[in-house]
Order: sequence, then C-alpha cells, then structure tokens
Amino acid sequence: MGFFSKFRKKSPWILHYNTGGCNGCDIEILATLAPKYDIERFGALNRGNPKQADILLVTGPVTKNCRDVLRRLYLEMPEPKVVVAMGACGHGGGVFRHLYNVENGVDNIIPVDVWIPGCAPNPRALIDGIVEAIKIWEKKSKDKEYMKNHSKEMIKNLGVNDD
Amino acid sequence: MISVILTIFAPILGGFVYGIERIVRARMQSRMGPPLMQPFYDFFKLMDKRPIMIHSFHALMGIMYFIAEWFALAVLLLGNDLLIAVFFHVIAVLALVIGASSVRSSYSVLGALRELMHMISYEPLMVLMVVSFYLVVGSFDIKDVLHYNGYPILDLPLVFIAFLLTIPMLLQKSPFDVAEAHQEIIGGPEIEYSGPFYEALYTGKWIEYIYVFTFAFLFGGSHYWLGAILVIFAFLFINLLDNSTARLDFRRMVKFAWIVLIPMAALNVILLALI
Repeated sequence: MGFFSKFRKKSPWILHYNTGGCNGCDIEILATLAPKYDIERFGALNRGNPKQADILLVTGPVTKNCRDVLRRLYLEMPEPKVVVAMGACGHGGGVFRHLYNVENGVDNIIPVDVWIPGCAPNPRALIDGIVEAIKIWEKKSKDKEYMKNHSKEMIKNLGVNDD
Repeated sequence: MISVILTIFAPILGGFVYGIERIVRARMQSRMGPPLMQPFYDFFKLMDKRPIMIHSFHALMGIMYFIAEWFALAVLLLGNDLLIAVFFHVIAVLALVIGASSVRSSYSVLGALRELMHMISYEPLMVLMVVSFYLVVGSFDIKDVLHYNGYPILDLPLVFIAFLLTIPMLLQKSPFDVAEAHQEIIGGPEIEYSGPFYEALYTGKWIEYIYVFTFAFLFGGSHYWLGAILVIFAFLFINLLDNSTARLDFRRMVKFAWIVLIPMAALNVILLALI
C-alpha cells in the first residue's frame, strides 16, 4: 500500500474473454464502451492483452476447450488483479449447466472476486460490477495469486514455478 | 533555455499531449472521454504492478527505447544537427524491434517486422525533409532554422503535406497503425511488456509526440505563431484522420510512401534546387 496504490482506481484496464457464451454479454460490454455509457471516462480501457490488464472480465460457461486458455490468461496477468464473472453462464453454467462439454462456471477454474448477475446484465450492472471490482482490487497486494483446483502436473505444465 | 526545459520535461509535456489527444478523440466520437491527467494515472498504476519480464534483454530493450527516444529528442532540441536527430530516432526504433524479435510470441515478432516496414516508409521521407530544410535555410542547424526569416512552409508545401501524411506512421495512428494494430496483433512490439517495463514504452510514445510535432513546428521558421498554428493543425488533422479511416495493409502503406509521398517530396526538393 504505497503512494501509487491510490491511482489504481483511476485506470482499470480490462481484459475481456468469452469462454463459449452466446455473445449476449459481449454485446453489452461493447455497449458499455460505446458513446452512451462510455466507460473510458473512468479511465477503463479494453486491452486485448493479459500482460497489461488489471481486471479479467469473463463471460460464458467455461467449455472444456477454453479451460486451459482461461487458466493461462489468469496466470499471465500480473498482480494485483481481479476476476469478474459476468452473466448467468459464468455463475455455474446457466442454461448450459451439466452439459458434457462444460465446466459449470468460472469459479471451478479460477477464483472469482465479483459476480455480475443477469442474462445478459445491462451496461449499468456491468459498470456497477467494475466499481465493486475496483474496491476489491484496491485492497489486494502484489503477491502471487494462484488458481483454484490446480493439480501439480498442471502447474508444472504451465511453468508457474519458474515465473 | 526553453529547449533545455522542453527536453527535461518532455515526458510530462508529452503526457499532456496524449491526454488532450484522448479527450479530442472521445469528443470526435461524441463520447465524454477520460480526464486530462489520465495518462499519468495509467503511469502510476503501472508502477504498482508486479514486475514480470520475459528475459532481461527484452526488458532492457524496452528501457533502451525510452532512453534513445529521449536522447533523439535532446539531440533535436539541444543539439545542432537535424540529420543526426533523425538517425538517433532510428536507434530508438531499432531497440524496440530487437527487443520485440527476441521473444517467442509470434505477435511480437510480426509486430517487429511491421515496425521495420514503418521505418522503410517514413525514414527516407524524414531525411528528404531535413535535406529540404538545408536547401531553404542553408544549414542543418536547428537554431538557424528557427532564426530563418522567410516562411519555410511557402517554400516546402509539398514536403509539409508529405510529412503530415507521414505522422500517422510515426505515431502509430490509423490508417497506418500497421505495427501496433490493436485488434489484429494486439499492440505488436509492445505485447510482451508488462507493468513497469511497459511503462517505458508507454512514456517513450509520449516523447515521440514531442519529437514529431517539433518537426511540424520547424516549418514556421522564425515565425513562432505560424509554427504553433501548424502544430495545432497537424494535431487536429491527425486525430481526424485517425478516427475516420480504417487500417491499411502494410504493403499499401509502403507503396503509398514510395509511390506518392517520396516522389512528392522529391519533386519539391528538385524544384527548390532548380530555382
């Protein structure tokens, strides 16, 4: 908690990743970036790059193909970072729950800090969720964070220990 | 004295230019836009991230880019020779290219190659521009250019137009933001930098703004009001162009530079030499 921590809330950079949802949430995210809601007035930018992002915004029920990519994105983001799960699919799968190709929600793969309910959540809910995420983000430290449900083999494959 | 202050505070000034640019861009898209100090908030936030580097050489090259960029600006403002300043700018870009091609990420390597394409496009034009300044003023010295009594813009209209269309290549703006293509190769050379190391690149870009607009200022000669008008015009024109055009292929960028811009500038230089 140094001098620079005060400026965290001024520039949250978002990384958006869709893990196999229906694109409804993504349209709402684009609406939030568009002139009417204009999230850039809070300093938030949509960076497509995990290395420079602070908030991981995940939509969709995590499909089995996306699982490793989501883990990688989470691990590539430098701390402090927060994860926001958006939409009903992210909360345990939504309408896709218990399908053979689905991991039933973001929480089964990586730890989630903020949940935004709704199908799809409207832009005001999204902005509210990001404000909540910033409140959590301000209290986080620079220590390393790991994902949930990791096996030793997975950690070895991803090369986290060398980092 | 002013040039010393300008050189030392170049990153801060460039940050304000970038902040103004973000507001102008937002207003052109009928948005509200971030506050003026937003680039500095980003700067402080990046300071607070956990440093992750790919390998030390990569990080060093990122910092080298910032230092070389600042050095090129110092040579331009304090030093004597415009030509040397153009060549020092090449060193800055080369540091970026070497750093970007030293990692395994394919986007980064692709960005490095495209950055070289940028260099092929704009570097001959920069040299031609400096040569045309020499023909008008009779010296490569920036002090002589700033004390020249005529109006360089009247002698070099085609060179100024060519330079105006080169600025998007230098500052990575549409339609020539080929190397940085954010939707395509997510930042290109800067993709693997994070936290404090990305900061070096982010700040290096602010210095590049000052570097480029100083050249636009030189077209006013000793009439500083004209130089200021040209800088403001160039700034607004670039933003308008950035917001209203889509990205071109790198081949079309190089073709445009070599078929349209360089002959145009060369024609102006030839006419100047004949008269």
